[in-house]
Amino acid sequence: MKKLSLHPLTWWIWAIGLAIAVIRFDSTVFTMCCVGAVAVVVFIQRENAPWGKSFNWTLKVSAWILFIRTIIGILIGVPIPGTTLFSVPIIPLPSWMPGIRIGGTVTLERLSSAVTEGILICAIIVIFGAAASLTSPHRLLRVLPVYIYEFGISIVIATSVLPQLVTSVSRIRQAQKLRGQSLRGFASWRRVAIPLLEESLARSLDLAAAMDSRGYGVSKKRSRYRPIKWRTADSVVVFTALIVLGLS
Amino acid sequence: MIKFSNVSLIYPNSTTTVLENLNLEIPEGELVLVIGPTGSGKSSLLRLINGLVPHHTGGILAGDVSVDGHSTQLVKPGGMAHLIGIVGQNPANGFVADTVEEELAFGMETLNLPNDVMRKRVEEVLDLLSLASLRDRSIATLSGGEQQRVAIGSALVAHPKVLVLDEPTSALDPIAAEEVLSILYRLVHDLSLTVVIAEHKLERVIQFADRIVHINGAGVAQVGTPEEVLMHSPIAPPIVHLARALGLTEIGVSVREMRRMTEDIRGKEYVEKVATPTQIGETIISVRDLSVTYDGKPALNSVSATISSNEIVAIMGRNGAGKSSLLKSLAGISELRSGSVDVAGSNPQNLKGKERRTSIGFIPQEPSDLLYGQNVQTECDQADKDNQIPSGTTAKILNQLVPGVSATTHPRDLSEGQRLGLALSIVLSSNPAVLILDEPTRGLDYQAKKELTRILIEFARATGKCVVIATHDVELVAELATRVMFLADGDIVADGTTLNVLLSSPAFAPQVSKVMSPQPWLKVSDVVAAITAHQ
Repeated sequence: MKKLSLHPLTWWIWAIGLAIAVIRFDSTVFTMCCVGAVAVVVFIQRENAPWGKSFNWTLKVSAWILFIRTIIGILIGVPIPGTTLFSVPIIPLPSWMPGIRIGGTVTLERLSSAVTEGILICAIIVIFGAAASLTSPHRLLRVLPVYIYEFGISIVIATSVLPQLVTSVSRIRQAQKLRGQSLRGFASWRRVAIPLLEESLARSLDLAAAMDSRGYGVSKKRSRYRPIKWRTADSVVVFTALIVLGLS
Repeated sequence: MIKFSNVSLIYPNSTTTVLENLNLEIPEGELVLVIGPTGSGKSSLLRLINGLVPHHTGGILAGDVSVDGHSTQLVKPGGMAHLIGIVGQNPANGFVADTVEEELAFGMETLNLPNDVMRKRVEEVLDLLSLASLRDRSIATLSGGEQQRVAIGSALVAHPKVLVLDEPTSALDPIAAEEVLSILYRLVHDLSLTVVIAEHKLERVIQFADRIVHINGAGVAQVGTPEEVLMHSPIAPPIVHLARALGLTEIGVSVREMRRMTEDIRGKEYVEKVATPTQIGETIISVRDLSVTYDGKPALNSVSATISSNEIVAIMGRNGAGKSSLLKSLAGISELRSGSVDVAGSNPQNLKGKERRTSIGFIPQEPSDLLYGQNVQTECDQADKDNQIPSGTTAKILNQLVPGVSATTHPRDLSEGQRLGLALSIVLSSNPAVLILDEPTRGLDYQAKKELTRILIEFARATGKCVVIATHDVELVAELATRVMFLADGDIVADGTTLNVLLSSPAFAPQVSKVMSPQPWLKVSDVVAAITAHQ
């Protein structure tokens, strides 16, 4: 399928629309459908760029969040009566912490409420992660108003240097492997972290120097080469989100 | 155009001055080359021009630097943006936008130029640097030479009067380097742009330079025409060494001039040196039908080769020809699609720990990737401990390779040559059978390259050792290698003795052979040997 060339704000508006719909509808099935649809859109539409690859990380991170959230949800909190699944020993808490308990009987209701809440949180993360991976941060920066442009320099550095860090990590780990060092354990990460930190600092300084010598920030006004226009395709995408929002 | 008056520079926490009382005036439309050993302050000199030093780096500046009448003491680098374009050592680190066109426009947007002017200038620059076909490409996907051109282009769009470049060709193959330099030459002559370049590989730039600024380590600078400066300078391209060896009264800085001066020497009949067949030892590396893909694209197509002991094999070819893929497969860190690699009797992919260290020593493109210690001493101790060798052995090797490295220095603060020396001594401390180096001469001066050549030749002389080196540096190959493999598009297109391979390709021929063609001489010592044999 052909990749749409959209206004950088389009996917963000779309994401906000979907996120509101998901929260308003508050149904696990609907949320899952939404996440599925978002994932399909990302896999079709994302570009082969560092931010495009970030969606995989979003999925991994939200799976972890769901897992941890569920564990905490069933272990800590207010007991909900219902079908007992299994029980864990209760950890006694001091008397000044009434109403909270750790452990105890895990009921089906308690489990399902923990999972439902977790899914909702993860869905929001996935939806905004999708917007981030579908939009080039550099193009987004160009349509943002001038007065928040001061953040620009740090955003440009972060978005240019961070993706390069991912490649640097694998390069440095490779080199360490070649030195015959083990790649397991805490010490191996320390061996990667030090060259990595030094490199990213050097890179950031280089970039800041380059932006500085090209006159960045000298003039408060900044002209636009090829202003980005809002097109029909953008309206269509935003409209789909509005329909979903209307249905909820 | 550029005026240095009584400039002295000292960095904080440093006891030595980088520059001392430098007086220099560069008129409009000159191409000035800055030379000097690594760490002598070439980059500082360049960055003084637009005020990045000291505004961005700190340090104390005495005296005054002014460009077109604007003093850098009063105007910050940003305020000079319309006047000076600067291209850093690694242009990829300075890119701000995603695509070529947006990158070119960035500088003009910050200068708040009206839209129609921007459109016109972008087209101009795209044409000037032959970038038009790349305008919509993502910068990350460009080759090194293309990136360098984009960086030059994005400096030119602001219509600066001065262009400053720090080692513009160090990462490029000879052909891409030629392209970049001829563009600069044209800019100087067509637009009367003032260009200041720092470069180690003099053989590439010397013919274009109008004047040379030679900084020696002590912060003192000598300024003059290439002939004046190079006549007695210890830093000189092979062509000048040739002139000195032949006892010519004048030196020429281009191949053409030197050919005119050496006509009678070339013309004589020489006894052809009977090539002593290199004793081929036992096979150490054997590669059979190796195919590798990189990012889904084929990087090596069914490559086969054997490398025997005592050989020093140079792998050459354009950027992206598959050199790094081949080296990585030899070292056992890339996935093979098919075929097999055998190094010193084992599959390199299965090697671990001490076993790996004693069979393969690998110096990556960034030698600092190997280093993680807080100072030179801890690095050396770690290597001693890893290899269970008496403590102090690695430090001793280091001292032989690069004498005078302080044990308490942080690896980042070493010069390029010293850092390479440190990485090399760590790798050599485990006494590997095969030494693999990926582009080791980036940022190395002639002295450091000579040292490296000596070390590698010595290493390869021992029994059961061989060296594989990927490089763009033809002069290094001429001095060092016994055999050259030429890669193009994932295939070995030439494989033979250094003499045969280098002489057969004009672009990859070293300077001496260009001057002395059709005589089959690659380096100054070849010429001298042939002439003495003749007399």
